[in-house]
Amino acid sequence: MQIKNNSSKFQLGALMAPGLLIFALFTIYPIFRLLIASFHDWTLASMVKQPFVGWNNYKTVFSDKTFWISFENSIVYALVTVPGQMFLGLLVAILIDGIRKISVGFRVLNYLPVITSWVIVSLIFKYIFNTEGLLNYFLFNILHITSKNVRWLDFRWSGLWVAMFLGIWKGVGWNMVVFLAALQQVPKVLYEAAELDGCKPIRKFFAITLPSIKGSVLFAWVMLTIGAFNVYTSIKLITNGAPAHKTETLLTWMYYKAFSTGEFGYSAALSFIMALTLCFLAIIQFKIMKKKDE
Amino acid sequence: MINSKKSIITRYILLIIFSLIAIFPMIYMLSTSLKPNGALYEFPPKFFPDKNELTLENYKYILNESKFMRNFFNSIYVSVIAVIISSIVSTGLAFVIGRFKNKFTKIIFSCLIVTMVIPGTTLIVPQFEMAVKFKIINSLSGLIPFYIAWVIPFSTFMIKGFMENIPNSIIDAAEIDGASIFQVFYKIAVPLAVPAIASVSIFNFLSSWEEFPWANTVINDTKLRTLPIAITGFFGQHQFTQWGYVFALSVLSLIPVVVIFISFQKFFISGLASGGVKG
Repeated sequence: MQIKNNSSKFQLGALMAPGLLIFALFTIYPIFRLLIASFHDWTLASMVKQPFVGWNNYKTVFSDKTFWISFENSIVYALVTVPGQMFLGLLVAILIDGIRKISVGFRVLNYLPVITSWVIVSLIFKYIFNTEGLLNYFLFNILHITSKNVRWLDFRWSGLWVAMFLGIWKGVGWNMVVFLAALQQVPKVLYEAAELDGCKPIRKFFAITLPSIKGSVLFAWVMLTIGAFNVYTSIKLITNGAPAHKTETLLTWMYYKAFSTGEFGYSAALSFIMALTLCFLAIIQFKIMKKKDE
Repeated sequence: MINSKKSIITRYILLIIFSLIAIFPMIYMLSTSLKPNGALYEFPPKFFPDKNELTLENYKYILNESKFMRNFFNSIYVSVIAVIISSIVSTGLAFVIGRFKNKFTKIIFSCLIVTMVIPGTTLIVPQFEMAVKFKIINSLSGLIPFYIAWVIPFSTFMIKGFMENIPNSIIDAAEIDGASIFQVFYKIAVPLAVPAIASVSIFNFLSSWEEFPWANTVINDTKLRTLPIAITGFFGQHQFTQWGYVFALSVLSLIPVVVIFISFQKFFISGLASGGVKG
């Protein structure tokens, strides 16, 4: 279409204006405000006057032990849950792709965790993994694997594992749908030809399936990495950072610093470091996939 | 594909196991909500309640407390308004970005994409400051504009794909007939993009319905809480957590989601699929 006259220009403007206005005001402005705040001393004590402090907030963040713990936790969370969800999601998708009867039923059941809110599933997991919960009852009283009730949520790695397990469990369905859609577009002729040549299933997977669904793999990889760094609600509700901030992730620590201790400048710097890390990761991910394309 | 009977049976067995793992926690939640809300933790914990202890007392308590009905309607109000506004403004944006490619629209589109990478919660401090300045703290209207702003990039991205795929010939024909841009937009583009708009709306509804960090930060008043905040509100209120109430309210808050999911299953799948295949 062409923009012919002023009236068309006006109409285009009118179509874009509301969306742009909301986006600029509630997303773009806060990003710039965040950048500015990260270079100013902004605490509960300096609410009105916020003096410029240069890189001080960033220095404080980088010299803070808990920041590095939460950074490590977020990285581990991403490294475990992203491949975990993708692998299991792809597995379920492949299984469903090969059957006819009740395939919709399996799809619906596996998608239920995706549509259930983070608040609800976090509380269920907290209830199951609690020291007096169902899991310990099975391990200790029924199977006698453990000699006493294990305090899963009171230690750094076991607490994180509960959150990571939850992250994987909740994400399988989403990956299943994304990969199933891609699998259904792979021409069946390719598989038939491969079978005539005597191809084994594993070779078929790597030679035909995986290359054909590469676009979806990239899509899932990028979206899930962003999602993994977005983890907040599950940690907040399951461990709330305990013990002694050992299970904080970047977001929960940022939130704690802002709203529990009132160090807004620190939080702003931490948010910015996080945003830059994610942009950097996304660029690398796109570069890697582009290279594989060539 | 040629499949042996044995491999088909293996597939079904594996799928049944996966499905059981997927729904196990939900069933446990449902069964706990049907047990008496007595002790902190029951011992031994039972996956299914005994027949004689099956009770609806938790649900009766929730339904009798008027504040939970308020919470329910708060959630509906916030989510519905956020969905309607966000789908209208995103469709307008997507139409212009998808059909009029120039420097300006390209810059806008890259801005939208870049912000998709940044988790919404990282902006919570400046957004909180804004909400205080605008005096929309502790009010439902303090939630809605932020919910809309969060979903605009993804919604625009998804709908734009549909807008690009509308054949030029249809739009050219309308132009020759003297249709204005507005007319092309609502008579041709919007009807053709309905599947994308529908799937985006469902996702946006869910994201507003379940949103936790922002509502938890902005809302203090129990009457103004949305459901996720009402559910977590049971913690710290008493010496012990009333898990029966927690899960009864959770089950009730899940009902609209499941109804929407089952009625619009097609759009869930197609929406995700088009995003995924495009990559």
